Amino acid sequence: MRHLASRRGDARVARFAFWVLACALVGSLFAQDGATRADWPHYGGERSAWRYSALDQIDRSNVGRLKAVWAFQTGKVDGGFNATPLVVNGVMYVSSSWNRVFAIDAETGREIWHYFYQNPREIGIIYSPWTRGVAVGSGRVFFGTLDNYVVALDQKTGRELWRVNVEDMRQCGCNITGAPLLIKDKVVVGVTGGDSAHRGYLTAFDVNTGRRAWRFWTIPAAGEKGNETWDGDSWKSGGGATWLTGSYDPELNLLYWGVGNAASDFYGEARKGTNLYTDSIIALDPDTGKLKWYYQEVPHDVWDFDAAFECVLVNAPVNGVPRKLLLNVNKGGYTFVIDRTNGEFVSAWPVAENINWIKGVDAKGNLVGRNEPPVGKPALVCPSIGGGRQWNHGSYSPRTGWFYTTGIEWCQEVTVTPEEPKEGLNFFGGVFHLKPPLHGPAGGHLDAYDPVTGKKFWSYASKYPLLASQLSTAGDLVFSGDPEGNFFALDAQTGKKLWSFPTGSGHRGSPIAYSVRGKQYIATPSGWGSALAGLLPQMWPETEDFPPGSTLFVFALPPEER
Amino acid sequence: MIAVALLLAQTAAGPSVIARGERIFAQSCSVGYCHGIAGAAGRGPRLRGRSFTKDYLLNVTREGIPSSAMPAWKGRLKDDDIRAVVEYVASLASATDAAPPANPMPPGAGPAALPGFNGPPQAGRGRALFFDPARANCGVCHAVGGRGIAIAPELTSLPMKSQAELASAIHATGSRHVLTAKLQTGEQFSVLLAAQNGDEVRLYDLTAPPPVLRTFARSQIVSLVESPVWRHVDVVKDYSAQELEDIAAYLRWAATGQ
Repeated sequence: MRHLASRRGDARVARFAFWVLACALVGSLFAQDGATRADWPHYGGERSAWRYSALDQIDRSNVGRLKAVWAFQTGKVDGGFNATPLVVNGVMYVSSSWNRVFAIDAETGREIWHYFYQNPREIGIIYSPWTRGVAVGSGRVFFGTLDNYVVALDQKTGRELWRVNVEDMRQCGCNITGAPLLIKDKVVVGVTGGDSAHRGYLTAFDVNTGRRAWRFWTIPAAGEKGNETWDGDSWKSGGGATWLTGSYDPELNLLYWGVGNAASDFYGEARKGTNLYTDSIIALDPDTGKLKWYYQEVPHDVWDFDAAFECVLVNAPVNGVPRKLLLNVNKGGYTFVIDRTNGEFVSAWPVAENINWIKGVDAKGNLVGRNEPPVGKPALVCPSIGGGRQWNHGSYSPRTGWFYTTGIEWCQEVTVTPEEPKEGLNFFGGVFHLKPPLHGPAGGHLDAYDPVTGKKFWSYASKYPLLASQLSTAGDLVFSGDPEGNFFALDAQTGKKLWSFPTGSGHRGSPIAYSVRGKQYIATPSGWGSALAGLLPQMWPETEDFPPGSTLFVFALPPEER
Repeated sequence: MIAVALLLAQTAAGPSVIARGERIFAQSCSVGYCHGIAGAAGRGPRLRGRSFTKDYLLNVTREGIPSSAMPAWKGRLKDDDIRAVVEYVASLASATDAAPPANPMPPGAGPAALPGFNGPPQAGRGRALFFDPARANCGVCHAVGGRGIAIAPELTSLPMKSQAELASAIHATGSRHVLTAKLQTGEQFSVLLAAQNGDEVRLYDLTAPPPVLRTFARSQIVSLVESPVWRHVDVVKDYSAQELEDIAAYLRWAATGQ
C-alpha cells in the first residue's frame, strides 16, 4: 500500500500530521493543571484557586460509605472555624480563631506542635477574631494576626522565626484574617479595613528575613495615576481592603488580588469619582509589586460590594477561542469573567435571583441602571450587604468544566448617612437591616455553572445561606457544609445529595481533599461563627441559638472499600 | 418641688436621656456589622429583648470586653453619652417585637463626635508625619500617645526639653542601643536586642523599616557588637528639614503638653 501513496496523499498526511502536532502543542500550552493531588499546598488548593482535587478514590459510587476517622479540637469557638487546612507531606497545618496554629499528623489526627499567638486583650475592631488560614513553604508556616503582624514559624517545630508589624491596628482599623500567599521567596499578605477609615494595600515580605519587599497601595496617592478618581482627601480613608487571598499564574508571572469596597461603604458623596482601585481585580508583578493591569467591577461603590473574593484562574474557550480567564464573584451577586493576560472584560453573569442595585451588566462590562440609595431615606437594596454570595469560595472542576458556587437571596433596608472618617474606627456611612427578598423565599443555594456564560446546570436549595466553601474532586463530587452543621457531598453532574454527616456545628470554613500513603481523605472545619453568622438572626431568629464550635473533621472510606 | 427634683435625679433615665442614648447608639453601636438597628443583632450580640444590669452595661461599654471585638468606649464617647447609651440599652429589655423601629438617626446627623487631636497646628502636622504609613514612618519603631509600635525608647519619657535637643536626637549618627549581629551564615545586619531566653535570642532586624523581630538559637549568632554603621539620621532622610521640625514640635507637645 505504501508505494501507492501519491505525492498528494503524502502531502495530505504531512498536513494532517502537522495539524495533529500543532493541536497537541497548542493543547499542551493551553493545558493548565490547577488540581491538587496528595497535598493541599495552598489556600485555594493550587494557586489557581480551583479548590479541585484530582484524587478519585472517593467517588459517586462509594461516597455513601464515607466515615469520620478522626476529629481535632482547636479549643476556641468564638468567631467560628473559618479556615482552609493545608496538607504538605502528610502533615496538616491549620489555624483557628485568635491565631491558634496547629501542625497535625494528617493520617492519625495526632498533634505535632501548636503555636498560640498572644494577641493583646484589647482588639476592639470589627474584623476579628476569626482567621482563614496559613501559608506553608520554604520550611516555614506563615500567618497574619488579629493585631496586624505577619508571623513565620519553623515548619518542623512550630518555633517562631520572625514577626513583623504591618501597620498599627489602632491607626488603620485593620488587621489580618485572610491567609497569606507564597510566591517564590515572598509571602504576600492582605489586610482588612474596608469598613474603616483606611487606605488599603497589599504587602510582600521576604520569607527568610521578614523584611518588607514591597507594598502596593490599592488607592493611588496624590500625584499618582488614578488619584484623580477621588475627591479631595477622600483617598486617604477610601477603603480598598485586600482581606482575602489572591491567585498566581506562574506562566504569566502575574499575581492577582481582589480589592474590597470603597469607604465609607454607603455614603459616596464625599468621594465622587470611580474610586480606583476599589472593587477591582489587580494584576501585579509579584517580584516588584508593580501594577500590570486592573479591572474595576464596581466604579464608585455605594453598596459595599467588594471584588475581594477569590480569583479563579481557568482556561476555557470563549466563542470557540481558547482564553486564559479569571473568574471573580463580586459581593453584589455577579460573576465577572476577565482575560487574565490583559484585564479585558469577557462576560458577567448573576449568582443570585434578587439583584436590584443594578439592572444588569452590558456587553462591555458597564453597570446598567445603578440604583444608588439616597441619603437619609430608607431604601431597599438587594442583595443585602452580606452579598449575593459571601466570601466562602467556589470550586472549578476541569472534569465537568463547571464552576460550583453559592448564591444568597435576601435584601436589606439601608439608610445612608454622611460620615466623617475617624482614625482607626468604623467608616460605614449608614446602617442596614435585613429584609426578605423581592421574589421567592429568603435562603441560599449551591449551583453548577458554565464559567463563561453562566448557564446553570443544576441548583441545590438551602433553607439558610450556605456560608462554607466548595470542594470538587475527580470522583465527580462537590463537598460543602451548611449552617445547621451538615457536611454533605453532591453529585457534581446532577447536584443530587449523595451523603451527609452531622458535625454538630455550622460550616463557615473550607473543605479539602488529600491523601497519605495512598489513602484519600476529606477534611472540613466545623464551627459556626463570623460576622455573617451574627447577622443571620435578623432574618432567621432561630439561628441565634445555633451552637458555635471549632472542630476539624476528617473522613475516609472504611478499609474494605479501598 | 424639691422632692420631685430629687426623685427625678434618682431615676435619671428620663425619656430625654433614653432618646439621647438611642441617638448615640444609632450613631456608634448600630453601624457596620455591630449591634444592628435598635440592638437587633449584627456580628455583635442582640441587645433587644435581653436583660442586663445597668452596672454591667456601664462597665462593658466603658471598658470593652477583653479578647473580643467590643471596644472600650471611654475616651471615645463622653461619659455622659455612655450613661445615656446604657439607659437606652437597658430600656430595650422589654422590647418584644422582632422588627425594630426605623433607625432614629436623623439624616445628616453623622456619627457621634469623638475626641481628636487637640494640640497646636504644627504639632498636628508633625503627628500626621510621624504616623504616615506611606512614609518611612517613625511609628514603626516608636510609640507616642497610644499609637505606634514600641520597639525603641518611649520618646515621651526622654528628658527632652527643647526643640534643638529633639532635632539633635533625630539627626543622631550613633546609638548605644543598636548592635551589629553577625550570623553563622555570614549575614550581618543592625539590630536591637529584644530578649534573651535560655538558648533563644530575639533581635529586631533594623535593615529597613519596619523592623522585624527575629528569633535565633544562640548558636546561630557569631557576634553582637556595637554598630558602627546604623545611624538614626539615615532613617529620617526622607523627611525635609521643615517636616522634621514639625515632628519635633509634635514630640515636644506629646512630652510636655506645650
